[in-house]
Amino acid sequence: MGEAATKLTVVRNPAEEGFLKTYADIAGTLPGTEKIVKARRDAMAVFEELGLPHRRVEEWKYTDLRAAIKEANPVAKPASVDAGALKSALGALADVDAIRVVLLDGHFAADLSNVDDAGKGMRIMPLAEALGDKEFAAAHAEIANVLEHDTSVALNTGLMTDGAAIRISGPHETPIHIVHATTAQSASLVTTRNTVSVGAGANVTLIESFVSLGDAGVQVNTVTHVGIGDDAHVVHVKVQKENAESLHLATWAVELSARCHYDTLQVTTGAALTRNQIYLTFNGEDAKAHMNAAYLQRGKQHCDSTLVIDHIVPGCESRELYKGVLDDQARGVFQGKIMVKPEAQKTDGKQMAQALLLSDEAEFDSKPELEIFADDVVCGHGSTSGAIDDELLFYLRARGIPEKKARALLVQAFVGEAIAIIEEHEKLYEALMGIAEDWLSEAV
Amino acid sequence: MLEIKNLHVKIEEDDTEILRGVDLTVPKGEIHAIMGPNGSGKSTLSYVIAGKDDYEVTEGDILWNGESILELSPDERAAAGVFLAFQYPIEIPGVATMTFLRTAVNAVRVARGEGELSVADFMRFVKEKSAELNISMEMLKRPLNVGFSGGEKKRNEVLQMAMLEPSLCVLDETDSGLDIDAIRIVSDGVNRLKSPEKAMLVITHYQRLLDYIVPDKVHVLSKGKIVKTGGKELALELEESGYAEFVNEAA
Repeated sequence: MGEAATKLTVVRNPAEEGFLKTYADIAGTLPGTEKIVKARRDAMAVFEELGLPHRRVEEWKYTDLRAAIKEANPVAKPASVDAGALKSALGALADVDAIRVVLLDGHFAADLSNVDDAGKGMRIMPLAEALGDKEFAAAHAEIANVLEHDTSVALNTGLMTDGAAIRISGPHETPIHIVHATTAQSASLVTTRNTVSVGAGANVTLIESFVSLGDAGVQVNTVTHVGIGDDAHVVHVKVQKENAESLHLATWAVELSARCHYDTLQVTTGAALTRNQIYLTFNGEDAKAHMNAAYLQRGKQHCDSTLVIDHIVPGCESRELYKGVLDDQARGVFQGKIMVKPEAQKTDGKQMAQALLLSDEAEFDSKPELEIFADDVVCGHGSTSGAIDDELLFYLRARGIPEKKARALLVQAFVGEAIAIIEEHEKLYEALMGIAEDWLSEAV
Repeated sequence: MLEIKNLHVKIEEDDTEILRGVDLTVPKGEIHAIMGPNGSGKSTLSYVIAGKDDYEVTEGDILWNGESILELSPDERAAAGVFLAFQYPIEIPGVATMTFLRTAVNAVRVARGEGELSVADFMRFVKEKSAELNISMEMLKRPLNVGFSGGEKKRNEVLQMAMLEPSLCVLDETDSGLDIDAIRIVSDGVNRLKSPEKAMLVITHYQRLLDYIVPDKVHVLSKGKIVKTGGKELALELEESGYAEFVNEAA
């Protein structure tokens, strides 16, 4: 008995062994200065110690990675793809005018990108190049020490191949669009890292999209670090519509300075399993973060949104509106933690997580957490889940709208409330509402 | 012509019978009023005509233009010309009123084999009809009925009625919650729609509305049955004497 119990804690599953072996095999080929090499080694040591998170790890209670990942896929081989195929995978997002940084199977694809069009006040560099740059590595400490307690991030630090390193100053009308595309025809692993630094008073829209051009399951692990200067305004949008075989781990680590505004929207329809994590820290007073999400899942898809919002200075405002549409046996998870440190008086933090259940077998788990150590704050959370309201449906049908169309309209209205955060960006708004429409039209 | 024959209806959830043998005929070109005390089954009758799920027809039939509509879904009934103006119009956040109108108008047109309206034609149409009802374009940009006043909601119902071009209009307590000015605007809207091709059924608790929408006939519904039918003067009598006579009679 005793021996068996000890074994359980020591034995790594084949996936954990696999990731460690992958690192051992490719460490010598991964980009980075000595400092980065050390950061990778340290991160993998963390991973070796903690392994893949499982349901007994509180933060991963509803998303058991150890159970979900049976084996570590081999690292994707750099591939090429023609612009037309990429455009069709992106759909209406391709029509949103942008400076485009394309990452294909985890590597910067210069021929598909137009970073040369980046104007004054916008510097975009492939991460692989930046990691080898001593000055960059020294200036971007976050590459080495971001969220070392999170094993999915540790795995990312250890295995990241490429990404976008972006530095912004001044106002920019044209968004930056980081396209993460995979082409794999067989199971593979893609690990990307982006780092975005937005200077004081700057203004930019950042779009990250994730699409599959192949049918095989890809283990995608992506981390984006965003540092926002005083008075800057950033809109950060993520769209994920990868194939239904893929596994998607995404982390945003965000640091806000005084009086800046940070608006986010994450739209998810793809992957078998998705974990969208956001770690956000208010480092400067009177900043605002408004964070929305809309996810639509069916079959046995699983989408986990986990937020950790840390108010460490006074006078900041955080708002979340997370909306999930769940059909068949799909499962939605919302974990939202708002921390208010003793100094963070006048904090205003509110979150709302809602699920629309289109089937009796769909499941929604919501775990809001408030950890408040200041006494003069306004914080709250709410959570709802339910089916489509029959009264609303009858009203639409009584006006001649057929049932299927009426349901679609109500689903779009439901997610539309979250997507409305980028309403002023007309083309992007239409593209994202279109994703919800496409999802609905794919219903069997 | 609307023909309701010996209609018996109960609520699906429990076994309570709400309508207990309603017989009613409304020829095209006529406006009939149904009056009755609370709980007499007036709203149930309107919902059953529109095809709401929560009710079960246990006996009898509803014919529109000689065909039973009981097997038709609510949207098929709308396509066949049935329109119910709701007593309590539903609020739908996230659906712009304009989007809703265009979806509904086009769905009904397609079902009737008329083809969708182009955006420009639709805009002309909606501008013309909403101007008649004193409805601003700004109001149509707002989510459907969300934050609308009672009067705005009812005007919006009449706008939908004008745009969907129904041939059978059922108005359920259209006057409830309206002041006299709002009643006048709504009634004018309804009166404009009167035509030899349309049958209208106006359901109301109070006689007041019938000063503005003048019925050809008035029926009194009590305890699930039509207990008296008369001309428009019957409404005035009811205003004087109340419903007590009928409640007792039917009991």
